Amino acid sequence: MTMDEVELEIKNIDVFHGTFQALWNVSLEIRRGEMLALIGANTSGKSTLMDTISGLLHPANGTIEFEGRDISRLDCHEIVALGITQVPEGRHVFPEMTVHDNLMIGSYSPCARAKTKPNLERVYHLFPILKERRKQIARTLSGGEQQMLAIGRGLMADPKLMLIDEMSLGLAPIVIDDLFKALKKIKETGITILFVEQNVKRTLQETDRAYILETGRVTLSGTAAELREEAKIKKAYFGLEECV
Amino acid sequence: MGLRINHIRIGLILMIVPVVLLALFPFIGVPRSWLLYSFNFFIYLAMANMWNLLAGYSGLISLCQPAFLGLAGYTMTVGTWVGIPWWVGIICGVIVASVFAFVISGAVFRMSGIYFAIGTLVVPEALRMVFYLWRPVGGEMSGAGAGYMVKGIGGVSSSTIYWLAFVVGIGSICLMRLILTSKLGLGLALIRDNERSAASCGVNVFRLKLYSFIIAAAVTGMAGAIYYLNQGYIEPSSTFNVRWTMSLLLATVIGGIRTEEGPIIGTVIIVFLYFLLARYAGYSLLIQGIILIGIMLISPQGIVGILRRSRYYRHLTRFISEK
Amino acid sequence: MNSDIITPVLMGIMLGGLYALIANGLSLVFGVMRLINLAHGDLVILGSYFAYAILTLLGLDPLIGLVISVPVMFCLGFLIQKYLMSKAFAISSETPLIIAFGISLIIQNANQIAWTPLSRALNTTYAQKSFFIGELQLPLIYLFDFIAGIIVMVLLHVFLKATYLGRAITAASQDRRAARLMGINTNRVYGYAFAIAMISAAIAGVFLGMTFPFTPTSGTSFLTIAFGTVIIGGLGSMLGTFLGGMILGIFQTLGGYFFGSASQMLIVYLIVLVILAIRPHGLLGRKG
Repeated sequence: MTMDEVELEIKNIDVFHGTFQALWNVSLEIRRGEMLALIGANTSGKSTLMDTISGLLHPANGTIEFEGRDISRLDCHEIVALGITQVPEGRHVFPEMTVHDNLMIGSYSPCARAKTKPNLERVYHLFPILKERRKQIARTLSGGEQQMLAIGRGLMADPKLMLIDEMSLGLAPIVIDDLFKALKKIKETGITILFVEQNVKRTLQETDRAYILETGRVTLSGTAAELREEAKIKKAYFGLEECV
Repeated sequence: MGLRINHIRIGLILMIVPVVLLALFPFIGVPRSWLLYSFNFFIYLAMANMWNLLAGYSGLISLCQPAFLGLAGYTMTVGTWVGIPWWVGIICGVIVASVFAFVISGAVFRMSGIYFAIGTLVVPEALRMVFYLWRPVGGEMSGAGAGYMVKGIGGVSSSTIYWLAFVVGIGSICLMRLILTSKLGLGLALIRDNERSAASCGVNVFRLKLYSFIIAAAVTGMAGAIYYLNQGYIEPSSTFNVRWTMSLLLATVIGGIRTEEGPIIGTVIIVFLYFLLARYAGYSLLIQGIILIGIMLISPQGIVGILRRSRYYRHLTRFISEK
Repeated sequence: MNSDIITPVLMGIMLGGLYALIANGLSLVFGVMRLINLAHGDLVILGSYFAYAILTLLGLDPLIGLVISVPVMFCLGFLIQKYLMSKAFAISSETPLIIAFGISLIIQNANQIAWTPLSRALNTTYAQKSFFIGELQLPLIYLFDFIAGIIVMVLLHVFLKATYLGRAITAASQDRRAARLMGINTNRVYGYAFAIAMISAAIAGVFLGMTFPFTPTSGTSFLTIAFGTVIIGGLGSMLGTFLGGMILGIFQTLGGYFFGSASQMLIVYLIVLVILAIRPHGLLGRKG
């Protein structure tokens, strides 16, 4: 497995919400098997970018290539079938369904159905608490458990690339630690991960490479070490840091 | 400066001339069919404007209009049976319709969007049942239920009735302009945009919707009463009938919902359609339904939407509204 | 006097089965697409007329006739959703309602042209019979309605819980965006949901036609009943819909018992209005 093979390539896309332009000439490259971070504040357009990759939105210009194939015009369910899954911001578990049913829905895509059983085992192994609570109604779970469920659900789709939007939002640091540990295990199974966060310091601890998104534009990119040195970050974001 | 005066003159002339002409119809001896057409035009115009006020500007898809026009019509008719002159009856009808709107508003406004539609659909149906079972003044015209002739209108000239319709119809246009440029109109625009943020801005959402609802009920009631005055009789199944709602919906949608000109254009068309299809009375709802769906899917902004894309139309409206 | 009142109560309970049958389709479409299908009552009546056509033209018993009408109604539902409703949703939030209104009147008028305003009924031999509980004589068809209501409720419940499509429909009704991210083609799923609602309407139409006479304009009354059932029973619960049907049925029959049969529909209307005003989210079941 070559770490340098490009799996997803976004080339110069502009994305609009109606007449409002949310993304300007954004380019991005994700390599197979890596864990890549996208750092941006609320207004940066990061969720727009995620939705565009997932096919909920379509770029007005530019292309998105997955394993060499242009996916920018494909509908959401087709993109899931190709192996790109999004774990959305805010979890969005199906509130009235049980944990088990939520996971089962994750394998809805025809290609994922055949591997439902092994994938389910994998998720329960990764998040034992989900197995414990598998008959529980999803909305009664805690925030951290719901996030695990959302990630597990994403895994059920047998993805090659997982997009995780603001996993740590509203969660306690201990829970966030556990989640990042889980992500590392997922990465080890060969799944590429693109995750979006606001917390710069924590994010740079967990990843090798990152892109910074500000008001719809990629302003910085590089390895974690490079970015840590970048004066701009120190200046702009240190003030917003939580005490870790 | 001279150019501006020209604008005003042309704009005013364009609006006033046809109105004056219409007013003079009974005098200048136009064919009877023209009078009939114009009469229906005014009645439907008033009602369509009111439906536009509710659905287009206040976010209330009201299927309740037959209730208002029916109640007002019945009030007037029953009034003539107990010795109340027809013109007082019309005023009473307006009051009854408005009070009814006020009474049910408390219940009906608690229902949001979709529930509101069903609720307002049920109200005229319920009223139809009520008048089917109840005979307010005994002595019926036909079948079961309260079918009545309107009494004591032998001496009323058709010109008078025509002008009443004229007043209601043209008045509704002026009323719409008045409302839209008033504080009520501004509040409604805010509510339509985003109800929650409007409420947090201090807009009393409930009260504004209530005002719209009552105004619509009053004017619709008035138009209804005049309509039944002209018709000379009233009975439950055709009065509290969804056909009215369909015609108003169609008129507004064809013309262009949420526009001032829309109901005017739309009413012209549907009254025309009404006469055209009189021969095919059995098919009229079918055709109207198909047209409605067609227009909603093809050009949701109606004819005004199509017109607005043309430069000439935009110039014309700018002329007229530059005062 | 006491034993006399039991008859309407029992009839109301059994009628609830019919009402639940009628309401299932409405509940499904509303739950999944947040659309009040104003045309639902008329679609049920369409099912009744369909069965009537099959009965009078082909001589087939209405229940057997379902073999023909179900696939046809299924396709019709799928087409309506795909070509009318899905476009309507994209235009504005009011458009689907208006389109449904248009469809409703088209169907009413079409039925009127084809079948005249005369009331029709599906008169089969068994629909006329009665059965006995102790001393009480009750119409057999009501019992059939009740049983059919239970069967369809169970079938739908199993479908929604145990099949991928059913679960997809449930998921789409709870969180549309998340459902799409699961790879669910929501447009197609909506189409299926609508089509299934139509199947339910076809079945309901048959039983309705055997229980009551119907006219082209009956649709509005049954829409109101269906809506009342869904409102009382709450959203998302097949059992809730069933219970709602029974409650409404009992109120109606008791109302007829106390106030005369002519006022039955009026009582139903008033109940629906009152409930809409007080608790539109339903007495049971989850909030919409």
